[in-house]
Amino acid sequence: MRALNCFIDDVYNAQKILADGIVPADIVLESANYLGPCAGVSPRFGAWAHICGSDVVRDHNGQFFVLEDNLRVPSGVSYMIENREITKRVLPELFENYSILPVDDYPLKLYETLVALSPRARRRPNIVVLTPGIYNSAYFEHAYLAQGMGAELVEGIDLFVGDDDCVYMRTVDGPFRVDVIYRRINEDFMDPEALRADSVLGVPGLIRAWRAGRVAIANAPGAGVADDKVIYAFVPEMIQYYLKEKPLVKNVPTYLCMHDKDRDYVLNNLDKLVVKPANESGGYGIMVGPHSSRETHKKFVKLIEKDPRNYIAQPTLALSTAPTYVDGAIAPRHLDLRPFILQGKDSWVTPGGLTRVAMKEGSLVVNSSQGGGSKDTWIVESKS
Amino acid sequence: MSMLSRVAERLYWMSRYLERAEDTARIVSAYNHLIMDIPKGAEPGWDIMVQILDAQPHFEQRFRTVNEQNVLKLLVADNKAPCSITYAIQTARENVRTTRDVLPEETWELVNELSLFAQEVAPNSVGRRNRHAFLAEVISRCQTINGLLLSSLSRDHAYRFIKLGRLLECADMATRMIDVGVGDIAERADRFRAVDPLLWGALLQGLSAASAYRREVGPIVDRQAVVNFVFLAPAFPRSVKFCIRDIRNELGKLNGSEEALKVVGRIWRRLQRLNKQAMTQAELHTFVDEFQMQLSNLHEAIEAAWFRADRQ
Repeated sequence: MRALNCFIDDVYNAQKILADGIVPADIVLESANYLGPCAGVSPRFGAWAHICGSDVVRDHNGQFFVLEDNLRVPSGVSYMIENREITKRVLPELFENYSILPVDDYPLKLYETLVALSPRARRRPNIVVLTPGIYNSAYFEHAYLAQGMGAELVEGIDLFVGDDDCVYMRTVDGPFRVDVIYRRINEDFMDPEALRADSVLGVPGLIRAWRAGRVAIANAPGAGVADDKVIYAFVPEMIQYYLKEKPLVKNVPTYLCMHDKDRDYVLNNLDKLVVKPANESGGYGIMVGPHSSRETHKKFVKLIEKDPRNYIAQPTLALSTAPTYVDGAIAPRHLDLRPFILQGKDSWVTPGGLTRVAMKEGSLVVNSSQGGGSKDTWIVESKS
Repeated sequence: MSMLSRVAERLYWMSRYLERAEDTARIVSAYNHLIMDIPKGAEPGWDIMVQILDAQPHFEQRFRTVNEQNVLKLLVADNKAPCSITYAIQTARENVRTTRDVLPEETWELVNELSLFAQEVAPNSVGRRNRHAFLAEVISRCQTINGLLLSSLSRDHAYRFIKLGRLLECADMATRMIDVGVGDIAERADRFRAVDPLLWGALLQGLSAASAYRREVGPIVDRQAVVNFVFLAPAFPRSVKFCIRDIRNELGKLNGSEEALKVVGRIWRRLQRLNKQAMTQAELHTFVDEFQMQLSNLHEAIEAAWFRADRQ
């Protein structure tokens, strides 16, 4: 996370890593995720991605790998907390014999992270959660976190930017200044003035206010530049480059279709690989090679040849399984783990996380938008 | 703690629509009783119901003949017409859905259950046999929700905007009731004068005002006394005067209420002038019309002061 934030801060400012040729400049600067209006900004603590959900998997040898880092608007944290609530209710006996680290203080930790970002020194800065509205599939979580932090849940129309470049919310007692926005809308929809002009969800002038340092936004606009499956392949190099450290958890080997050698390998071994578009989330547009038909393979050959920059491939990992209750019986199902990482003044990782389960037998796709389920996960304190 | 304008507006509309659902159920129910009591040939026309509830455009879109069946289809079970009970309930539900965190926990459940009930039962409640049970259930569930808010909601902005919505809708419906009587009687021939007290009695019931009227005014029901009671009764909570006085109290607790209070002042003076004077039917009709215009001005003043996005 620290390395990723260093990377984002670097590419929007000095661009050293690009100059040193560690990461090819064109894949960063030509990416749809690189937002021009963010260049030259230095958010406090050098933190752009304040909230990150990293997906971790374990292979057949028990080795952990990082699958990806979600830096835009990672969701699912409310499921982590609710799953624990339910486990406590259904299996209270288990909690007698183990010392299990609690996860339900997440809203409080998030609150502390956000408070530290406030441009005004106040005892209780005005924090808001910006949601696209009731029809968003994660609306429940937005409301949940807002309530947990005692923050106002706002939509784009509730906010406006004044002539003084400050952000205000419209209340029945008049304008009320906002210090920190925890945004749960995609960055390209945030500000029709600076980004997508057709956005009706955003707040005109928001980027202007943020650039002027009058409001803090988490995650900062532009953070998505590091949330790209091609950039992901360079994360180990970033850790080495910025922190002079070796990564503790490995990346999954990744083939970049933009490189001729990698592309040839991918096109000849489609039946062994998982192919992913570089810039999608929610498990859309993914092909799991061994589970796909010849027609699908052919379709992906065309897609990759047409736009190699936008595709990566990884070996199909034998993801670990856990016993799962399915149709009245216990059966093994594949899963991954998403711990949430907060970074600002301090760093903090949830002692636990959202464990996502592929409910279909043999399936490796765990995304909830593709029918996946979830589980509670414990970090148990060992007796020493 | 202040409140987002958007949240305040949704609470206000939730409350207006709940009151509208309840009052429409009352009017339909009262009319329903009335038509069974009145001799053949003297029945008031069903088109009055359509006029009173501002339902002409929607009615004409769907039906050609004005009869009991069609009018009730529209007012009870039409999901798309803003004058119908089911539409009012649906809209109230949509408004609670996004404001549930400022309301007592059970509010959402009660409103959601009411909405599910209406969706399921309304289509089969158009006929005379099932109509009464449905309307009574709607009224009772609305009263439960109002009772919950009255007993468990903190007296903060949320309560204030909910109260404003309910009072304004209530005053508006009371004036519409008077219009039913005026409109009907004006159209009827003199030989049926004898049924007038029946009609006014039914209207009082529509406002749940029958027993309050009997205790305060007496058992004899005549037009002038009913008009005076509905507009001016100082202690009856559904009288227009009572609603307006309460609106003035609530407005006084909000910042930026100057314009709205001016409109209330004008409404108040008009009510004072009504004082006990005898009016012809035509005059009364004009009075009610103008009064409703003023209520609509009051709504606009509230909207401009606290809800409108472009005001700041």
